[in-house]
Amino acid sequence: MSFLNSHIYYIGAFGLILIGLYIILVKHNLIKVIIGLGILDTGVNLFLISVGYITKGTAPIFSRPGINSEHMVDPVPQALVLTAIVIGVAVLALALSLAIRLYQHYGTLNLRKVREQRW
Amino acid sequence: MVNPVLLIAVPLGMTFAIPLFALFWKAAIKYIPTVALVFNLVVSLLLLPKVLENPVIVSIGGWRPPFCINLVAGPVGILFSAIIALVGLLVSIYALDDIKEGAAEKYHMLYLLLLTGATGVVLTGDIFNLFVFFEILCISSYALVAYLRERSGIESAVKYLIQGAVGSSLLLIGIGLLYGQFGTLNMADIAEKIDSASPIYLFVPMVLLITGLGVEAAVFPLNAWLPDAHSSAPSSISAILSGIAIEVGLYAVVRVIFTIFGASSILLFLALLAILTLLVGEMCAFSQNNIKRMLAYSSIGQIGLILFALAIGTSYGVTGGLFQLLSHTLAKVLLFLAAGYMIHRAGSMDISALEGIGAKMPFTSLAFAVGAFSLVGLPPFIGFPSKFLIVRAALATKETVLIVLIGLALVGTVIEGAYFFRVVQALYFKGEKQNPGRKEAPIVALLPMFILVLPIVVVGIYPKLVTGVLNSAATEFLNRLEYIRNVLG
Repeated sequence: MSFLNSHIYYIGAFGLILIGLYIILVKHNLIKVIIGLGILDTGVNLFLISVGYITKGTAPIFSRPGINSEHMVDPVPQALVLTAIVIGVAVLALALSLAIRLYQHYGTLNLRKVREQRW
Repeated sequence: MVNPVLLIAVPLGMTFAIPLFALFWKAAIKYIPTVALVFNLVVSLLLLPKVLENPVIVSIGGWRPPFCINLVAGPVGILFSAIIALVGLLVSIYALDDIKEGAAEKYHMLYLLLLTGATGVVLTGDIFNLFVFFEILCISSYALVAYLRERSGIESAVKYLIQGAVGSSLLLIGIGLLYGQFGTLNMADIAEKIDSASPIYLFVPMVLLITGLGVEAAVFPLNAWLPDAHSSAPSSISAILSGIAIEVGLYAVVRVIFTIFGASSILLFLALLAILTLLVGEMCAFSQNNIKRMLAYSSIGQIGLILFALAIGTSYGVTGGLFQLLSHTLAKVLLFLAAGYMIHRAGSMDISALEGIGAKMPFTSLAFAVGAFSLVGLPPFIGFPSKFLIVRAALATKETVLIVLIGLALVGTVIEGAYFFRVVQALYFKGEKQNPGRKEAPIVALLPMFILVLPIVVVGIYPKLVTGVLNSAATEFLNRLEYIRNVLG
């Protein structure tokens, strides 16, 4: 149980990453694939946060006297995640707008039916 | 002294000035990328002699590395930023006349953003910063592939986006694992601490980083997006994607392997992958009838050759790889630009539609032929000394595996020669078709082609013009202790 307790965030993060990858690889519908990308992004962000997290840690601000820097969480991964979230939003927005265009051209979102370009 | 930060800051600022300009002076916006890239080219060339003696390290925010985000303007960074600025400048001149349909200000914004991202990737010394610039590069290229809003463009952009986004996520996981182990994002700092870590914990992040970056670099099993994206984008964008984007991806892969991990044991595996990439690319290119698809597959083949040369891992090999990268960039951009106007005039991308166009568009066809011969590696063009250097480097290692692999690479070159000669033959010697509508490309398109032909021929005759710079760049890649000492002081 102690392993589960101490690693629960990592397990959750990699669970989300694997679910996202599974959806991207298996699903035929472009919207579902984009949802998979979103889940994958979330998993990666959760992973980054848990890298810097300390159980019962506080924000890294010396807000009152006597606060101990050893109980502060690492702020760098949080800054990374902020950036990663913004990038993820940009990718998802572009993907959704491409999905609209794809539907206008092909009348379907099924990626197995959109195969005009071949090797 | 000029600050290398300007190489990123000025184009980025200009990018976001474009919509403001579009409000009151619409005719001017198409010149903004040209102006920004002239600036970048001048700054890169001014910095080049200085960084050959001593790399310039810029710390942002006034902190010392490793506590800040830093730029490393070494020979590699400035060499790449000069190539990006030169090629970007020529393609932006070409696009002045080429881009008429669609929302022009979006095209010019995304174009400049793409090149800013590429410059940022090659200059940064911070691995998360590298990820951010990489994403700028990738997102703008997804959007540009779909710029014409045709069926094929949208389809390729969707494929490219899905594969690219998965690759970026893998890259980010790799960065997170490295940060978890070493508590730093500075590449030099990670490189310094990495020797103390046990190899078992390094394997997973290395694989994730190489896979993530390899998607953009189009290394063999990860390159399914490339032929579609490169063939359905507008010609100017195909040129930039083939000439800049995949090279920058390759730079990132090599930087991760050589500088961060210092991994020499993986090089043989990479050499095998590279030769696979080369053979797959060349064989697929051979069977194409669509000229842009053929050029796109030929890019895969060339990427394989460059990666092979870099994976030889000796000083000669890396120099040869960088030389081949330079020659591929110049020649492939020239080929895409020339093919762009041929396709405009012929109205079709089929090679059979281009028959006899050599008589109607003599300058464009000549430019195409020069690019094709240079890629195949005929003297006196730049492709000859670069391929020669790679062969010599592989033979000098005296390792049987590498010698066998370079033999396979030469087989690839023969296939390459076969399909390029087929196109050149179609241009000049095949049946004259009556099509009075064809005429020569406009002068704004011919000028960049001519400027590209110039270095291809001149460097082909005097390779010594560039080998000095390439040598110091190769030294920067191979001598990671020097890199660490330069950054951390």
